Amino acid sequence: MGTVALGVLSGLLMGIVFGFALEKSRVFEPGIIVGQMQLSNFIMLKVFLTAVATGALVLAVLNGFGFVKLQPKAALYAADAVGGVLLGAGIALAGACPGTTLAQIGVGYRDALFTLAGGLFGAVAFSYAQPWLDKALIGTGPKLIFSDLVGIPYWQGAIALAAAIVVLLFVMERLRPWRDDLRTDNDGNARSAVAESGGRMVPAE
Amino acid sequence: MPSFLDKAWSPYVAGVAIGLLQIPAFLMVETALGASSSYVTVGAFLASWGAPSLLKIDYVARHVVANAKNWWQVALVVGIAIGAFISMKMSGAKRHAISPIWTRALGSPSPALRYAVAFTAGFIMLFGARIADGCTSGHGLSGLAQLSVGSTVAVVAMFAGGIVVASLMLRRI
Repeated sequence: MGTVALGVLSGLLMGIVFGFALEKSRVFEPGIIVGQMQLSNFIMLKVFLTAVATGALVLAVLNGFGFVKLQPKAALYAADAVGGVLLGAGIALAGACPGTTLAQIGVGYRDALFTLAGGLFGAVAFSYAQPWLDKALIGTGPKLIFSDLVGIPYWQGAIALAAAIVVLLFVMERLRPWRDDLRTDNDGNARSAVAESGGRMVPAE
Repeated sequence: MPSFLDKAWSPYVAGVAIGLLQIPAFLMVETALGASSSYVTVGAFLASWGAPSLLKIDYVARHVVANAKNWWQVALVVGIAIGAFISMKMSGAKRHAISPIWTRALGSPSPALRYAVAFTAGFIMLFGARIADGCTSGHGLSGLAQLSVGSTVAVVAMFAGGIVVASLMLRRI
């Protein structure tokens, strides 16, 4: 089998696991993502930080023992800041990020097809603008990682990050158990839970 | 124990499963998890049927060339849709055509309004992700795990932009 075919096959299998986990965690729900951005639902941050910590530990081992090279992106501060803000704005209004858009399509959310179409147009529009944007805003930069700045091996920095995240998650879970954020339909939809229980709105903070 | 038939897993179980995907990504494809460059690959591939000159842009040529990394990521996002579909079927969850939160968030039940907002949002989201060279997966999951300085800036900016827009432009859900 060719390398492209092998890449496609492994991508498909990994994507199925990815999509399964996104659906089970409910993090792909617009109610969870918008709720996170309105700081009333914390499932997204919990899934996200857990995956970051797990990835850091995995890479600490794989890179520490020399099995893999790190693939950090170049630090392009202006592009990272401007692009990041636009990305976040889009995520809030889409109720999805580029990956979870596909999970929403998979479960049958019709509006996600429009998010996907908009995303494809956005990517093509960027492609046309890229030669100009590259000069005006993006430029080039070094592939900086924090452990190099501090002067410690990557694996030590990665373990420190994972440990800090675990502590943070313990505190978050104490303050806000994840089951409380699922709501009646497991979709982060707060109001219907209130209506059905007859209870009053509990302030988010 | 979490079961495949459950409607919801703990965010910690799901997060570990997602984080472990870095192992095959790094070992088999020599890349980190990411999603947004697949939009360039697919978008430019489709657009180049009508506008072949698009392929003359270096950036586009790099993204549509038939190599394992480009089409691995396209397959990954297709797999995400399949995996989410399988999970939903196994748990027997029923979904609305549009999440009920949007009626409140947008202040209107109109599907046409929601579709217009979703299209615009998708456009901004990918335009921004491509400027930043990564999204929640590439900069977030993979960049932070690799202690990348640039990715940290991108993720902070992403949450800042998301929080401001969700607070000012959407009603509280």
